Amino acid sequence: MKKNLKGKVLNIENVAKDTVKLQFSTSLKEIYPGQFVSILIPNKTLRRPFSVADFEAHSSENGIITVLFKLKGEGTKYLKSLKKGDSIDYLAPLGNCFTLPEAGKRAPQKALQKALLIGAGIGIAPMLYLKKVLTERDTENFLISGFKDEEEAVKGSDRTVIGGSVLDNIQNLLDEFKPDIIYSCGPKIVLELVCKLAEKNGLRAEVAMEKVMACGIGVCRGCVIKVKDMENGARLVKNASVCADGPVFAGSEVIWE
Amino acid sequence: MGIDLQSSLCVDFGKFKLQNPIMTASGTFGYVDEFDAFLNVKNLGAIVTKGVTLEERPGNEGKRIFECTAGMINRIGLENVGIQKFIKEKLPKLREKGINFVLNIAGSSVEDYVKLGEISKANNIKAIEVNVSCPNVKSGCLEFGTDEKYLYELISRIREAYDGFLIVKLTPNVTEIEKLAFAVQNAGADCISAINTLKGLGVELNFNGTKVSKSFVQGGLSGKCVKPVALSMVKRIKEAVNLPIIGLGGISCLQDVLEFVAVGADAVQIGTENFTTPDISERLILELAEFIEKQGFKDFNNLKEELRK
Ligand SMILES: Cc1cc2nc3c(=O)[nH]c(=O)nc-3n(C[C@H](O)[C@H](O)[C@H](O)COP(=O)(O)OP(=O)(O)OC[C@H]3O[C@@H](n4cnc5c(N)ncnc54)[C@H](O)[C@@H]3O)c2cc1C
Ligand SMILES: Cc1cc2nc3c(=O)[nH]c(=O)nc-3n(C[C@H](O)[C@H](O)[C@H](O)COP(=O)(O)O)c2cc1C
Ligand code: FES
Repeated sequence: MKKNLKGKVLNIENVAKDTVKLQFSTSLKEIYPGQFVSILIPNKTLRRPFSVADFEAHSSENGIITVLFKLKGEGTKYLKSLKKGDSIDYLAPLGNCFTLPEAGKRAPQKALQKALLIGAGIGIAPMLYLKKVLTERDTENFLISGFKDEEEAVKGSDRTVIGGSVLDNIQNLLDEFKPDIIYSCGPKIVLELVCKLAEKNGLRAEVAMEKVMACGIGVCRGCVIKVKDMENGARLVKNASVCADGPVFAGSEVIWE
Repeated sequence: MGIDLQSSLCVDFGKFKLQNPIMTASGTFGYVDEFDAFLNVKNLGAIVTKGVTLEERPGNEGKRIFECTAGMINRIGLENVGIQKFIKEKLPKLREKGINFVLNIAGSSVEDYVKLGEISKANNIKAIEVNVSCPNVKSGCLEFGTDEKYLYELISRIREAYDGFLIVKLTPNVTEIEKLAFAVQNAGADCISAINTLKGLGVELNFNGTKVSKSFVQGGLSGKCVKPVALSMVKRIKEAVNLPIIGLGGISCLQDVLEFVAVGADAVQIGTENFTTPDISERLILELAEFIEKQGFKDFNNLKEELRK
């Protein structure tokens, strides 16, 4: 169940150009890949959402949540200025998660034999945690990520594409690796291409979307996207909130506008 | 806490009672118990539901939220489940959980509002709040709440259809709020709430060398930055009419609550701050009770009297 929690900064470091890794303590026992936390920023009306890039549960209050963020504006500037021991006020766990081989919030549909993970830019953040969990749960996986240049590249992928698009030679990789499912996070334009690619190859895709958020819990309807209403034979269109119905959506349900 | 919460904070509007003066504002708190993850919704004076229309509405296309200094602009466009679904799915839950609530209603014609009033009556809904910041489709989309004649007609008609506690939520986007408050009183409303959001514009500029791209988010401004406007409106309404007033707009702490009470509010609503601090409304109840006790006031009514002197 989601809560408003407080944690302490355990570690904060630069991991690439304008990219910061922030780790803080948590009493949470569970939070899954694709889910996010929403952090309070002093003097800001809106909290800032960040995907969980890693998580370690501990029996005490000392679990660890890791987020990876790119410097954008005032909120991320504030977070970067935090020091070890500083307090963090966050809501978590928020949103749904990627389909996982076992446990997790979504019931796994088919056996997930092989998963291809695609992270574009800072979209690598949830992919890193997903990779860890898939590996722990014996699902063969391959993470490919793409960055603008060498300086911005975050480590942890099986293959890193520098410059160009992470999707440039993706068909070769698909033919070689033969995944059952593609997971992805990154700019909308990349996610749309990933979904088209999956469809063309007859694969399932799951993508983690982003929208500016206010409440983070599905109440304000500020972060909705259009999806196919699957219950009605996929003919009708309905709104889905990225914060509560998502951020993870099946590639086949998203309507790209 | 050595204070009897139940009686010392209670607000009695006659037809409608609150166990304390802290309510939550429409559109920021869902329909029922969505905030139960962060507080006990049952402890609140009352919640005001998201604005409900006759038919379900998908809301606006495009960007809906823009953060600005000390506030935000929203253009949700009244996305809501519609009255039928509200009655079928939300109302039973509200009752089962014992949550004190006000149904916020919105429409695009007088007939819409009248029907919503009738349905509220038929379902024994004790209090409704009429959002009049909606365009009246039949009169060139002028907002009901900006013209005292339309507003008088609208509220009179709802009054005929609905005999419960009728709150009219005024829009601040007018020059003479007194005239609108007066129209509402004459039309037979029981209470005024103020304010709804202010008209605002968010501008986003992106530069790529000398190439500029821009986008606008035109919508309703809320949050801390609107508080002085809201206080001024509440004070003017108080001086113009005898109806009880529910004050809102930018409330985020106990001091804000006290300021609203001082200028004429009998209860308050918390809106945007729910997003920042989701348990703020429950915290404010405790802080208010503690303050009353610490300062030595008899109860909330006594505090109100002293603040108004
Ligand atoms: C579910 C979710 C998960 C996210 N995960 C990560 C992550 O792991 N790492 C990361 O670096 N970023 C992530 N983001 C984006 C991150 O929330 C924004 O970059 C951050 O809020 C910017 O805050 P700021 O104050 O520094 O910048 P601002 O000055 O507020 O904004 C800078 C830019 O970011 C955009 N922005 C602001 N808030 C959001 C938001 N809530 N969602 C998307 N864009 C926003 C603004 O429109 C603007 O273009 C995620 C967003 C969502 C919705
Ligand atoms: C996201 C959002 C949605 C809102 N939806 C409604 C609504 O449906 N009906 C209504 O009467 N007011 C609505 N409001 C206005 C608020 O109830 C309140 O009047 C306004 O935000 C000012 O109070 P605040 O500054 O405390 O938020 C909404 C406000 C926000 C921020
Ligand atoms: S941010 Fe409020 S519904 Fe998603």
